Amino acid sequence: MELLLLTNINGKAYAMNAITPMKRWKTPILWLIFFILGAIKPLQSALKNLSFIHFARWVIVKHNQFPHLDPKQPAEDLQYDYLIFFSNFNGTWNEYIDAFSAVLSKGLNTIWRWSEKFPGSVPVTPFKTYIGQVQFDTDYYYNAYPRASTNDVKAALRVQDAFNAFAENSKNLSPAEFEKAYLEFLVQVQADLGSTGMAPVGT
Amino acid sequence: MANQSGQIYGLTILAPILGEDDHLDIGHATAVRWYLAGLPQDHTGPFAKISSTHFCRLVVMDDVVFVGSPAREEHLKSRYLVFESNFDGDLDTYLTRMAREIPDLVDAVWKHCVGYPGVADPAAFAAYMKKCQITTTFFFADVNNKTVDQTLKALQVQSDVSHFIAKNQGKPAVELQSAFRILLERMTKAPAPLRGGKDSEKTAAEDRPYDH
Repeated sequence: MELLLLTNINGKAYAMNAITPMKRWKTPILWLIFFILGAIKPLQSALKNLSFIHFARWVIVKHNQFPHLDPKQPAEDLQYDYLIFFSNFNGTWNEYIDAFSAVLSKGLNTIWRWSEKFPGSVPVTPFKTYIGQVQFDTDYYYNAYPRASTNDVKAALRVQDAFNAFAENSKNLSPAEFEKAYLEFLVQVQADLGSTGMAPVGT
Repeated sequence: MANQSGQIYGLTILAPILGEDDHLDIGHATAVRWYLAGLPQDHTGPFAKISSTHFCRLVVMDDVVFVGSPAREEHLKSRYLVFESNFDGDLDTYLTRMAREIPDLVDAVWKHCVGYPGVADPAAFAAYMKKCQITTTFFFADVNNKTVDQTLKALQVQSDVSHFIAKNQGKPAVELQSAFRILLERMTKAPAPLRGGKDSEKTAAEDRPYDH
């Protein structure tokens, strides 16, 4: 069967790009918000606890910051600054926006309320309409571990740590002692076992 | 530094694409898209060779968006090639590796961009890319202390351990211990997992033919 290359998706990850205009005077406020978000790690806990984003970033591009590399290149003449958002998340677009809206509505509103015509992240219908309007598609997407979600990666790292410790500590045990230690190892890792593989189909 | 989270670097490049040329059958932006559309996404793809790349994307950004009145409608005068990458280590090493290890990809894509100096001089390419770099304002990396190969290795260990446990349920202690030693030996000799996976192992379901 010939596989279709879907450029927004690679394995379990979806590449989202979104760009929104902001009035220039609002940009320093958003800088400050991001500075605080970066400096106070507990503020990122909701994002971390969602555990379905490998990597995400917000990039503010000021109106005069689009690279201009040659006199023949026409200079941009923009009134707005722009906020660009890139995310590498697991699951489908709808699941992602639903989860964002349900769990992170305050955080999202704090970030995007400075963008023109942002309707708020709740209720979800106008929020999805807005995201659909400002999103643009990816042309090529590479993922080094396409069969693994963020949770798969975290679970695998826990299993590996436990496995390495068990392998080291069980080197010189008798069979009976080994069996006992093995059972303790199983209890330790049982919630993190499984194999990575295909993602479920969903919308 | 906003470009960095732990040991992961978040690179954002906006490279202006050359203007349309009447002598070309297709424009530069379209040529980039056609090229990218045919590029493998798995372990045979170019970025699998740059072993420090966790995720990356290439996007032709045609324009900014107009979100409706009363917002002002405005447009870009150039299209921009967006390169977004999440990788281990420092920027100079990464850009130099791109020029040296995947010159065909770099050349095929960035030759359509303004000011591209080629890959013959990796330092010149790195300097060019830095001119196109936009500092990341806020960078989130859920796991930011493992390299690509460490992550792949952990996933391989998890899979091997899961299979081992399922296969050896209820075995006497002596057999279990012996099997475990064999597992350890096999894991030591196992080849490194493929970066980027194998497209041929995917199923139609994994590729999710629709998303919303």
